[in-house]
Amino acid sequence: MNDKKHVVTRRDFLRSGSCAVMGSLFGLPLVGRAATQTTQKSRVVLIRDQKASDGYGALNERAVVEMLDEAVTVLLGTADPASAWRRIAKPDDIVGIKSNVWHHLPTPQELENAIVARLVEVGVDGQNISVDDRGVDRNPVFEESTVLINIRPMRTHHWSGLGTLLKNYIMFVPQPWMYHGNACERLGAIWQKPHIRNKTRLNILVMLTPLFHGVGPHHFSRSYTWPYAGLIVSADPVAADATGARIIQVKRNIHFGEDRPISPRPLHIEAADKKFGLGSSHPDRIELIKLGWDKNSFI
Amino acid sequence: MKTDFHILTSWSLPGLITIGTLLLFMIQSTHANTIEDLQAIIPGQVGRWSAQTDDRVFDEKTIFSYIDGAAEVYRAYNFKRCLSRRYTTLNGPAIILDVFEMGSSEDAYGVFTHDLDGVKVAVGQDGRLRPGWLSFWRACYFVSIYMEEETAAAQQAVMELGRLAADNITGNSTTPEIIDMLPTVGLQNDTIRYLHHFIVLNYHYYLSDENILNISAETDAALAEYQIKKQSARMLLVKYPTAEIAVESRASFLKHYLPDADKKGMVLLENNKWAAINIHEKLLVIVLEADSRRLAEQLLDNVQ
Repeated sequence: MNDKKHVVTRRDFLRSGSCAVMGSLFGLPLVGRAATQTTQKSRVVLIRDQKASDGYGALNERAVVEMLDEAVTVLLGTADPASAWRRIAKPDDIVGIKSNVWHHLPTPQELENAIVARLVEVGVDGQNISVDDRGVDRNPVFEESTVLINIRPMRTHHWSGLGTLLKNYIMFVPQPWMYHGNACERLGAIWQKPHIRNKTRLNILVMLTPLFHGVGPHHFSRSYTWPYAGLIVSADPVAADATGARIIQVKRNIHFGEDRPISPRPLHIEAADKKFGLGSSHPDRIELIKLGWDKNSFI
Repeated sequence: MKTDFHILTSWSLPGLITIGTLLLFMIQSTHANTIEDLQAIIPGQVGRWSAQTDDRVFDEKTIFSYIDGAAEVYRAYNFKRCLSRRYTTLNGPAIILDVFEMGSSEDAYGVFTHDLDGVKVAVGQDGRLRPGWLSFWRACYFVSIYMEEETAAAQQAVMELGRLAADNITGNSTTPEIIDMLPTVGLQNDTIRYLHHFIVLNYHYYLSDENILNISAETDAALAEYQIKKQSARMLLVKYPTAEIAVESRASFLKHYLPDADKKGMVLLENNKWAAINIHEKLLVIVLEADSRRLAEQLLDNVQ
């Protein structure tokens, strides 16, 4: 261990009086920012519609697609969804949509289909669009991609604390387990690889029925999901993940009736900000725009 | 006068049979059966549920393809192999049996202590049942039985399968020595965790973003909560392979976590709880949080 380096410990949180949010991301003052960080705020759109889902496995396709369109439009400040999608991809782009197939809580196919449809509508050749997860490292569309769109549901995770947009790119490396060290802290390094860097135009964190707690090898029980009925959309994966993490933390505290930090602490979100300069994890540097249903939004 | 032969035949033949039977029993009970043995023995039919024919066995590399990052928890306890079997029925949820072969009985106990929520059930050496999931340990095996949806019939089948599986596991079931070093007065038995990976420690009690206690596969650690009268505390014991590493780890802990410790290694934390550290050769004794200085001292004194 580097003796000169400040090691973050529980004492830092106790000193700042933020023990209650130890599992989240806004307990400590920002230190050691990456050189690439700017003072500009990252825009994050949180959109919810009570009709989108009334529980695990239930999804109202029309409501969800409308949420996606509205969120993208507001995120990019355009007049309509088509204009927004034209800013995400041009007709000659090759687009990889990085999905997530974890069978307990996969990316909804309805959202995947909607993204493909919008891309085709703005002129992208259907043959130049691919949706994939486990096969991205050998998928020719992803190999040739000029644009990436990242979409996955939010969930807790045994080793990284949270399954996040940042973590979703772990399948782009041949040996994902090499990034499991220290609670997957170095996931941000994957985003700096040449075949990934600067390609991601849109990040969508699916919060329709997030998983806020998990136990055992399968880490899933539907009793630990709830119909939040939301999407978090941003160009900044760190800001989107940090926003989702705050919601999960509040839900855990409410459900368990006590402070129940996300465990292990999702170090990779902070590290993506402070070490890898991929975005903003601190709410002070996030412009959060909330749309739609606001009851129990937890943020 | 009886000859030696007479002595042997007149009273020892039944005795030999008895001794032989006992020896056979001892061999059976101390010798753990293999994953292959269990695959053959564990019934393929439980109530209305039938095993699908394609049992799968995962090793320490292929386990990631099965349970993704959750595999790291099992690898942190010297995971060897996992037998996975899926039971299905018409009009009911699937039930998934996972038999994890760990490096030792102590590791099987350790990974069991990772998830202690739920209702205590008499399955294996110790078992827990919670919504959708039964877990227990016996010998060098940690067994998980998961139902994809929670129904009363599925839960009944899960319990039956658990008991059948547990009954077929042979071998010694021993808990780690370090557990016996925890002071018994006030110990909350259902909070004891055994581990040798710092991320696992952070999962149960976030201490630091880095491994300031040098916890590794060669160290044994026990984390537990205490309740004495109306006061509570949390204690961590860490046993290192050498006294030198213990000394280094104590210094690291004092530097990064308790730089303001007094001569007795005690600190009043910012949340008005007391923390303290002591060392006995290879063993670090740490009170992470105690409601009073006196309780922290008492816990330190009770570990020799």
